[in-house]
Amino acid sequence: MEEKYGGDVLAGPVFFCGGGGGGGLGPVDVPSARFSKYIVLLCFTKFLKAVGLFESYDLLKAVHIVQFIFILKFFFVTAFFMVLFQKPFSSGKSITKHQWIKIFKHAVAGCIISLLWFFGLTLCGPLRTLLLFEHSDIVVISLLSVLFTSSGGGPAKTRGAAFFIIAVICLLLFDNDDLMAKMAEHPEGHHDSALTHMLYTAIAFLGVADHKGGVLLLVLALCCKVGFHTASRKLSIDVGGSKRLQALSHLVSVLLLCPWVIVLSVTTESKVESWFSLIMPFTTVIFFVMILDFYVDSICSVKMEVSKCARYGSFPIFISALLFGNFWTHPITDQLRAMNKAAHQESTEHVLSGGVVVSAIFFILSANILSSPSKRGQKGTLIGYSPEGTPLYNFMGDAFQHSSQSIPRFIKESLKQILEENDSRQIFYFLCLNLLFTFVELFYGVLTNSLGLISDGFHMLFDCSALVMGLFAALMSRWKATRIFSYGYGRIEILSGFINGLFLMVIAFFVFMESVARLIDPPELDTHMLTPVSVGGLIVNLIGICAFSHAHNHNHGASQGSCHSSDHSHSHHMHGHSDHGHGHSHGSAGRGMNANMRGVFLHVLADTLGSIGVIVSTVLIEQFGWFIADPLCSLFIAVLIFLSVVPLIKDACQVLLLRLPPEYEKELHVALEKIQKIEGLISYRDPHFWRHSASVVAGTIHIQVTSDVLEQRIVQQVTGILKDAGVNNLTVQVEKEAYFQHMSGLSTGFHDVLAITKQMESMKYYKDGTYIM
Amino acid sequence: MGTIHLFRKPQRSFFGKLLQEFRLVAADRRSWKILLFGAINLTCTGFLLMWCSSTNSIALTAYTYLTIFDLFSLMTCLISYWVMMRKPSPVYSFGFERLEVLAVFASTVLAQLGALFILKESAERFLEQPEIHTGRLLVGTFVALSFNLFTMLSIRNKPFAYVSEAASTSWLQEHVADLSRSLCGIIPGLSSIFLPRMNPFVLIDLAGAFALCITYMLIEINNFFAVDTASAIAIALMTFGTMYPMSVYSGKVLLQTTPPHVIGQLDKLIREAGSVHVRIRRDANEQMVLAHVTNRLYTLVSTLTVQIFKDDWIRPALLSGPVAANVLNFSDHHIIPMPPLKGTDDSNPVTSTPAKPSSPPPEFSFNTPGKNVNPVILLNTQTRPYGLGLSHGHTPYSSMLNQGLGVPGIGATQGLRTGLTNMPSRYGTHNRIGQPRP
Repeated sequence: MEEKYGGDVLAGPVFFCGGGGGGGLGPVDVPSARFSKYIVLLCFTKFLKAVGLFESYDLLKAVHIVQFIFILKFFFVTAFFMVLFQKPFSSGKSITKHQWIKIFKHAVAGCIISLLWFFGLTLCGPLRTLLLFEHSDIVVISLLSVLFTSSGGGPAKTRGAAFFIIAVICLLLFDNDDLMAKMAEHPEGHHDSALTHMLYTAIAFLGVADHKGGVLLLVLALCCKVGFHTASRKLSIDVGGSKRLQALSHLVSVLLLCPWVIVLSVTTESKVESWFSLIMPFTTVIFFVMILDFYVDSICSVKMEVSKCARYGSFPIFISALLFGNFWTHPITDQLRAMNKAAHQESTEHVLSGGVVVSAIFFILSANILSSPSKRGQKGTLIGYSPEGTPLYNFMGDAFQHSSQSIPRFIKESLKQILEENDSRQIFYFLCLNLLFTFVELFYGVLTNSLGLISDGFHMLFDCSALVMGLFAALMSRWKATRIFSYGYGRIEILSGFINGLFLMVIAFFVFMESVARLIDPPELDTHMLTPVSVGGLIVNLIGICAFSHAHNHNHGASQGSCHSSDHSHSHHMHGHSDHGHGHSHGSAGRGMNANMRGVFLHVLADTLGSIGVIVSTVLIEQFGWFIADPLCSLFIAVLIFLSVVPLIKDACQVLLLRLPPEYEKELHVALEKIQKIEGLISYRDPHFWRHSASVVAGTIHIQVTSDVLEQRIVQQVTGILKDAGVNNLTVQVEKEAYFQHMSGLSTGFHDVLAITKQMESMKYYKDGTYIM
Repeated sequence: MGTIHLFRKPQRSFFGKLLQEFRLVAADRRSWKILLFGAINLTCTGFLLMWCSSTNSIALTAYTYLTIFDLFSLMTCLISYWVMMRKPSPVYSFGFERLEVLAVFASTVLAQLGALFILKESAERFLEQPEIHTGRLLVGTFVALSFNLFTMLSIRNKPFAYVSEAASTSWLQEHVADLSRSLCGIIPGLSSIFLPRMNPFVLIDLAGAFALCITYMLIEINNFFAVDTASAIAIALMTFGTMYPMSVYSGKVLLQTTPPHVIGQLDKLIREAGSVHVRIRRDANEQMVLAHVTNRLYTLVSTLTVQIFKDDWIRPALLSGPVAANVLNFSDHHIIPMPPLKGTDDSNPVTSTPAKPSSPPPEFSFNTPGKNVNPVILLNTQTRPYGLGLSHGHTPYSSMLNQGLGVPGIGATQGLRTGLTNMPSRYGTHNRIGQPRP
């Protein structure tokens, strides 16, 4: 069926049979009796794998990590050769030189990943390693697709991803791993080699405790592992089966590790007393962790669906990890422990804690959710039916629509857009300056470990969000009108100004509350760090004020100060409103500064006031010891911010409520009177005029005319008059008597007839048409 | 910034006016209940804020902001009563229904800003976790929860009820719906309880209380003070999730967009019609076209203005009048469609105008855009109701009346719909139809 309809069209039933080779034809669950033996086998293997990992943790205390990996790989390879008769060289097709290079790369990557894995194991213990690392590929891939693509697959997958993240965060934050806290005190304690030392210093550089570093390391290793598996899939087909690839790759890695191990064993003295006593534990580890797991996994993934495999595999391994985490040092499990030299030593390392239990629960849940097959069948679009009657779906539409721009190009284009216009350019530059200052502050705060600086940095980031919003609004306001935004996006600026005003009010409110609380109970302040920071902030903000007020004045000059908002201008057009406001404003772009820029400007102003307040209160405190000065200053500033915001909010509200623009009121009145005098006009009704955005004043009017007048002439005349009055976006409806007759014919009902006859009467007898404005 | 100017003269009159309007609203019986609840809310919030500072818990603070949001929603309710009483003034020529929308928008945005503040505070707390006293934590939680639920369920808050219905679902609702669907798969009996769309406010109140209970438990058991910060972040995120769709919805109304439900019907009109570029000839009966256009769109848009352009008229006008600039703005994609004329009469004889059979149908020219296309508003005289959903096909005039023209009389809910929904239609749609512009 697929061939018949080409690549991107699939017949319905065919689509559903995805997944493993043995899967049934439909979405129906095939009775699991067939699978039950594989499931049991899988569970048992996972249980043994947990045992093996706990064992190998004990081993790693004695054996160096590189030696450990070497031994593991060595025996794995020999197992392949000796026991399982894979005959990687003699059987199958010969391997080209190119493929050997690929195998070499594969081996190197495999070595690095297993190194990370076992290093993570030494850092955060077997329990946490099992929880973090034993996720199947499908879980991680669907997690990543939820996080980084828009087509995640419904709320369930999102929930699964959230659970996964919560689980990792639980491990990071709520897990009191006692031993590791102890070890973090002397991280340079017992490092055997340059490699581990390097990793330790890397983790110490990140500034986290060791076990947290281990968690991060394991997450990284998990992502690497998934990428590695995906990348090696093609190679394994080329080489001729994944088993053969494994054998070859392990062989190569053994050869790679060989010199290193020799150097290591020569240079450092071994902590192992007798290698003989380690044979038994090594055997269990190799058998459980490497061989058995590999084979059972490959068998199960052939026999069952991959998602089912993942689901049944994750549950036993997490549960057994939890159990062993609790009972491993307990006498009961002594039989299991092949390496029992540390018997009955009440160890406290990597014990079970509440955080681990919670995160294990979350991991189980998320593995369950994420590995469940996604219902992508709903996403295809039905394009028709085949001659046989099966529905045909198109699945390629998504892929074509989601062809995303490359990131650098996107950045470049949006930068170009930003820099195109004055407003957005200024906001952008100031935002950059602000962010720079913030990050310097944060960095310095982290460096000197000063909480005050860091929290001030957060505060600056909080303020930057207003700037970002202003920037977006300035960008969006230039978009072209669409079906939904039929007037264009100009109004966004007003809305953004309104939101910014609300933002400032919230800030003023919080400052007010804080300062009242401090007035009642003035705290002791440490002032020595405050002055340089606030002076820096003041300088940054002053630059911003200069830039924005320059734009402000400039715009005012252009539009001859016609605007209502001139009360906050420092320009020489303070008197513009009363003197020569009306005469000049028609042709130009309307009011001077738009609400968006006013909001941003006020924001910068509020910040400046804050810096000044801090400086003044610091001086007062240092000179006179008036601790009351600080809350008083902030009280004053809060009131000032509030008062400066009120006009902005009031103006924005008026525009949003579609008020008649105050600065055009008089002219519109005159214009309406002029319209009255047009020849043939009887009356007008429903005159609506409102400011749509900074540059658009829109209006609608209904006009009744005598039946012998040309409608288009009337439209032209009315439009001309109102355009002179400043309305640049007008809709005129011209109505004659015939219109009302038609309307009454079209929709007869008591109320309408009543209304329409009233209208007609008004047309007949209401000749002077005095609509009082 | 000469900010002081604002309060220089209108101060007293402003408060006087406010008091007057307040008296107007308070005259209504229904508003007493709201005022009572507002008073209780204020006391409750005061106590909660006190407990917040005594427990030092930021999660409780985030939850208290939800109570403050309740206060805003009560105010919105009052405003909606006030709006019902006010007539349009000459200055606010459309009336004050938008104030309701603005109030909804402002309160949702304020709630989100509060959540943003919480996020910032909790980012600071992650650096240095202060100690939380659990003494009043649980008490505060239950006081706030019971008060919130009580307010939510006992006061019929029309604006918010409407917006929460009309806005797209929040992620919280989506997840709850998903969970409850799978729960109903196990226990089908529960479907009547869980499957309907949950009220987002009740949902966020319950979820916040749940988070606070967990916080209390963990702090009591293990002194995990960081849980407090984490649950504060969770509550803030949930607040964002709940409020964001509503503020988007009301913000779109404020931005004068074409409302989505109208778009669908306009599209239907276009589909039914088949899109063609049409000009009216000079001899077309302009008034009749106008009447039919109005009649069709009247049901969708309550305040409608239709402007008609005639090709032959405009061409000379391009050279002279000020209309020219206006006309040049037109782009092609707003061309109004026209149903095919054939079968007009036989398909729907009932609904054609009485005037129509006598006069020949207006002449249109199809697919002849001409050199300078001047798209013209036009629908032809076929007057089938175009997919209003309420009635299709052969509708006598009287039933058409019920759908559209009778809207103001239908009732309270419908009246609210006019308030919120038809506002954008008034401002957005009629201009899209009436005066196409790029």
